[in-house]
Amino acid sequence: MGDVVLEVDNVTKTFRIHRERANSLKQRIAAKGRNRFDEFVALQDVSFDVEEGEVFGVIGHNGSGKSTLLKCMAGILQPNQGSVRVHRKMSALLELGAGFHPELSGRENVFLNAAILGMNRRDIATRFDEIVEFSGLERFIDQPVKTYSSGMYVRLAFSVAINVDPRLLIVDEVLAVGDVTFQKRCLEKFVEFRNDGRTIVLVTHDLASVRNMCDRAIWLKQGLVSGEGDPKTLVEAYTDSMLGSAPHDETGSTRRGSGELIITEVEMFVGDSTSPVTRFQTGDTVRFRMYYNGHKAVPRPIFSLIIDALGGATVSSPCSRDVGLIPDSVSGDGWIDIVVRDISLLPGAYDVHTAVHDFNRQHEYDHLQVATRFDVTTGRPYESSGVVTLRPEWQFSDDL
Amino acid sequence: MALRTALAHRNLLYLLSLKELRTRYKKSILGWTWSLLNPLTQMLIFSIIFLYVFTQTPPTGDPSHLKNFPLFFLCGLLPFNFFSISVGVSMGNVQGGSGLIKKVQFPHEHLVFSVVIAQFVTMLIEFVVLIVALLIGGNMVLPWIPVLLVILLLLALFTTGVALALSAANVFFHDVNYLWGIVAQLLFYATPIIYNAANPKIPRALRLVAAHGPTGSFVTAVRHVMYDLTMPSLRDFAVLIVYAVTAFMFGNFVFSRLSPRFAEEM
Repeated sequence: MGDVVLEVDNVTKTFRIHRERANSLKQRIAAKGRNRFDEFVALQDVSFDVEEGEVFGVIGHNGSGKSTLLKCMAGILQPNQGSVRVHRKMSALLELGAGFHPELSGRENVFLNAAILGMNRRDIATRFDEIVEFSGLERFIDQPVKTYSSGMYVRLAFSVAINVDPRLLIVDEVLAVGDVTFQKRCLEKFVEFRNDGRTIVLVTHDLASVRNMCDRAIWLKQGLVSGEGDPKTLVEAYTDSMLGSAPHDETGSTRRGSGELIITEVEMFVGDSTSPVTRFQTGDTVRFRMYYNGHKAVPRPIFSLIIDALGGATVSSPCSRDVGLIPDSVSGDGWIDIVVRDISLLPGAYDVHTAVHDFNRQHEYDHLQVATRFDVTTGRPYESSGVVTLRPEWQFSDDL
Repeated sequence: MALRTALAHRNLLYLLSLKELRTRYKKSILGWTWSLLNPLTQMLIFSIIFLYVFTQTPPTGDPSHLKNFPLFFLCGLLPFNFFSISVGVSMGNVQGGSGLIKKVQFPHEHLVFSVVIAQFVTMLIEFVVLIVALLIGGNMVLPWIPVLLVILLLLALFTTGVALALSAANVFFHDVNYLWGIVAQLLFYATPIIYNAANPKIPRALRLVAAHGPTGSFVTAVRHVMYDLTMPSLRDFAVLIVYAVTAFMFGNFVFSRLSPRFAEEM
């Protein structure tokens, strides 16, 4: 139990939604001093404490009040009721490069941006080289930032933000910036932060990062705290509710595309069995059967099957074009089998989506989101975490 | 309150002011010359009208005996322009800072302070040129420079107050910005820039406003020091201090009341 570094205490925040926005005196006088508006409650009685050294996650839909909460924590918005107390030096990364001026050089912008984030000149001067080195933009630092690519821009902004040296960092979906190398560096920096015993509040809808990085999380739903506690349980509950509330047709899935040729259903079979299943084990041989229906002859269609892990990361996406299976024309009813031998998926829940495109992948005939879902249970090999197994072979030195 | 945050974040203030100065004339060939060309053009126009269209005799400096309309005009125009431009640009800067206000917590008043500081530096450069011209014209203004600086600093305080109040109000009603365009024009003529407030031919009402209104008081004080080479009275100084302190305190009060709501309102 560390010290409490951030206290959010019964925070309520309402916004006025103006029916007719009165931005001029005349309009306001015409409305007889009263502005017609509806009250919208963005946050209602939200309370939680964040302790020193924790990585704390806030998850929720778009419009759940996440951003409002973030802005209240960052001190940008003032709550109508309740209070936010911050007991450590805080830095909130809401938007990278807010306050960058395009005509100024990278160097000038580093100084300006760091000052906006609350650093004094001596600290900036001592950290300047570190900031530039982290961004990898040494060669361009004296160019005006308007000549930067968007990637360079974000990299420089992130380098400044992360080097402000806060004890409490509030982050809004900014983990994924720049190319792979830079992302890796960012992640390392976060891990370094955490290992230093600093506190991180992560506001995101990237469930994977909440599950992997956070010690504790809350779930915001329509401005209310809908759950608090262990991120893994919370993410599961959240995902269930999200899938449950998405617009579904009668088969529990959503469909888009022009519809000349569609996938009607996906079934899964284990081995040579003919009875469909929705649950199998790591190591099983699984047959994914896509049933199609074409009310028109479609030339050279491309079929794909997409397997997503819980949280949305695509694990695998076999596509008929990649293996050179290109029928001249498809119409009527039929099925296509994709057989996966000795399946490498580890225990967990997975979603299956299907897609039918034209040969150039320019036109989408059909896309069935969540055609089916399946669970993988413990089989062989077993690994306690991860999404797939790479079937590793272990070798220990002889004396072990 | 505002002064304390300004001191605590003086580095940000310094850099924001620097940004104002650096970015203003980027990508222009004449650069800083532009800031001088504007008052010079106004001087040319009003000199031609005053001296050749209406054939008036320029006011005589007492005790300097200087009799030069362009110099008389510039002594009034430079402080007035500083005031009116600072207020106008501040409103734009706060409005234009919405991206920052909505994303970062920082002292919003710095968006106003930085403009006033940058405009102040611009005005000082203009005054250097004017002082050279006055010296050539035979006015030994050099000993008066410290007094000038005191007056200009009081003017800066007054300007900051007005700019704070109007910039904050403008976030809620954009009319303020447009209204200011008109008010600034009216003020230009209600301030003794092209005429002398002491001139008995001017209607009494206008003379009262011109001589005792805030902009008029500042302009008259600057002109006493630069054109007439005489010390403003203690009473004059007291008036300037009252205007400056009242405006600053009022502006500061309005701004600190309204600025917590900026992020929502933008």
